[in-house]
Amino acid sequence: MRDYLYDGSFEGILTCIYHHYYTDRAAGIYRREDYQPSLLHGYMEVETEEDKATRVYEAIENKISTYSLRSIYRAYLSCDPDKENKILRYVLLGFQKGHQLGSLHGNPAVHDMDVLNKKVGFEQERMLEFVRFEVLDAKAGQQVLYAEIEPDNDVLELAAHHFAERFRHDPLVIRDAGRNKAIVAYEGHWYVTPLGERLAGGGVVTPDGTVMELSQDEIDYQHLWQTYFDNIAIKERINPRCQRNFMPVRYWKHLTEMNRS
Amino acid sequence: MQKLQILADSAKYDVSCSSSGSNRQANGRMGNAHAAGICHSWAADGRCISLLKVLFTNRCVYNCEYCVNKRTNDFPRASFEPDELARLTVEFYRRNYIEGLFLSSAVEVSPDYTAERILECLELLRYKYGFSGYIHAKIIPGVSPEILHRIGLVADRLSVNIEMPTSKSLEAFAPQKKPKQIFAPMRQITNTLIETNSLKGPGTMFKGQQLNSSENYLSGGASTGHAVTAGRAGLPAVPGRGTFAAAGQTTQMIIGAGGETDESILTTSENLYRTFKMKRVYYSAYIPVVNSPILPDKKTAPPLAREHRIYQADWLLRFYGFSVSELFARGDGNLDPDLDPKVTWALRNLDKFPVEVNTASYEELMRIPGIGHKSAMRIIRQRRFAAVRYDELKKMGVVLKRARYFILCCGRYYGNRKFEPETIRNSMLQMESGLQMSMFDSGGNLLAYDSSWQKIEEGERREKLSLAGVI
Repeated sequence: MRDYLYDGSFEGILTCIYHHYYTDRAAGIYRREDYQPSLLHGYMEVETEEDKATRVYEAIENKISTYSLRSIYRAYLSCDPDKENKILRYVLLGFQKGHQLGSLHGNPAVHDMDVLNKKVGFEQERMLEFVRFEVLDAKAGQQVLYAEIEPDNDVLELAAHHFAERFRHDPLVIRDAGRNKAIVAYEGHWYVTPLGERLAGGGVVTPDGTVMELSQDEIDYQHLWQTYFDNIAIKERINPRCQRNFMPVRYWKHLTEMNRS
Repeated sequence: MQKLQILADSAKYDVSCSSSGSNRQANGRMGNAHAAGICHSWAADGRCISLLKVLFTNRCVYNCEYCVNKRTNDFPRASFEPDELARLTVEFYRRNYIEGLFLSSAVEVSPDYTAERILECLELLRYKYGFSGYIHAKIIPGVSPEILHRIGLVADRLSVNIEMPTSKSLEAFAPQKKPKQIFAPMRQITNTLIETNSLKGPGTMFKGQQLNSSENYLSGGASTGHAVTAGRAGLPAVPGRGTFAAAGQTTQMIIGAGGETDESILTTSENLYRTFKMKRVYYSAYIPVVNSPILPDKKTAPPLAREHRIYQADWLLRFYGFSVSELFARGDGNLDPDLDPKVTWALRNLDKFPVEVNTASYEELMRIPGIGHKSAMRIIRQRRFAAVRYDELKKMGVVLKRARYFILCCGRYYGNRKFEPETIRNSMLQMESGLQMSMFDSGGNLLAYDSSWQKIEEGERREKLSLAGVI
């Protein structure tokens, strides 16, 4: 029995699960940089191996269910510090119970996974709500939609499909400022990329050095939106607690209507 | 800018904001509609902002007593130009501020004149700007059937406001609006939905029933000129581009302006659901915006608690299989302000409880306070493999502080010693007032300021508790 340390990738976790069955039973799985050595048992650094990960991936899909596989991946995207061990317990139980795993909501291992999934799913929906684009002028009269987000969980890619579909004819960029990566989407297709930095005036520098400035009427539309936002509230029903329940303060930084400068 | 300020200000009393019910893949140049709806922001009053909710104009020829835009109200007035509003919608939509447009209007000149301007704006938005996001259009009573039909072809959801729960109060407060003018467009919308085979109905009220058949066709409404033949397959499709109001129709009622009881309000809603099969009825607590001799005066606080209870009861109608007559078995026709309507119903019908969760049907589970659709489904799914145990119920999403009094789990009862309505009621009230107490303690000022009032409350509570035999 020993602790496994992995590199932070999804395939890394799957490789650790492989080693649990074929090398030595896992006491726990930890991210390499966060690991505090344990007194009870030794540890092993696991190299992520594609073929081992694929075998576990397919085993989960075939022997448990696609539904469970999905919830494992979404749990991996969460910011929970103990997510690796929750995934481990869930998968181990799954290889015993098979396809009924997803229905055993009363079991602690399944419940943990349900909680993580709920959190990730909830924040994914919040991103659909709270992304605020700014229109930037790129070269040759092309306009680009640009937004920054800072979600707790790594939900950037889960939100990508929605925006890529919705704004098919506008190229768009959503940057996760905390994790310093971005999605770029155009005509329904999208990919993940590291992306440059923000200028003080609101413009953006792309990795290849081009500068995109805020479009001319961007500030006007932001003011219009703020005006609308202020006027739609009924002052007899003011209820800031209710507002913050739905729209937590930690997201305000990137909301045009809450962050006025 | 000022225009937007004025016209948003006038539109804010419209309640509906939902962008749900329509699922459309991107087919135009921009946008799609998401079946579950997306709210983008929450205003300072805690209500969500999903659609750009504006009036096309607030210049009104009507003089409805309850309305900010009544003719005799001295108030800044403005109107949009169709293209201006369409552009604004598109630019807001691109920035992900909104899901779409909610366009209502005061009646300028005549219902038809106003409706034509609305139609012009919506058609520009759909065809010139290629917008395929969500559009909710308000239909003004008295509009001609042809214009209504064309608006329906570009909008996702239509609504005709009924405003007042009874025709008597409508006559008193909005003498220029006639019940007939309100019901005619409602009927037409329902009929067209049947013709296009897209009537869905409210919640799960008509689950498993065939709604799009000729029996549900309402007579007396203006027809679009299509003869309805019997049976589903024989119904002709409505010509023209796109679908007709894919997200159905809704309406809105004001609570607390006239002297109606909760029962008469909900009976009206039930009738609307049964007759017109509309998706939803919205309720808005009346906010005194204008001085009027026949309305509550300006200092009255909006009856928010009452609105909340009515919404709870409305959900029971649409999703839980309750009927209005069950909810108001006896009493003065108002809902209990202290406990939610499902609990009150369960306490009146204690002979149906406790229910064993491991054997109850879905319908029975749905009637237990503290259990909803999700937890009921989870219970049913799990008990195929293994019996559901009491300590698992919480993890399945059951609200035990309510449900424990009404269930058996593997044959055991986990509630009070006494299985009597009064005892259960008191222990539930005690739990809730306990919560309130702790809130008072944290704010020391409140405690001192309201001490006399609280003493009275305390006395009442003691009385209730001693009656229940707890102390």
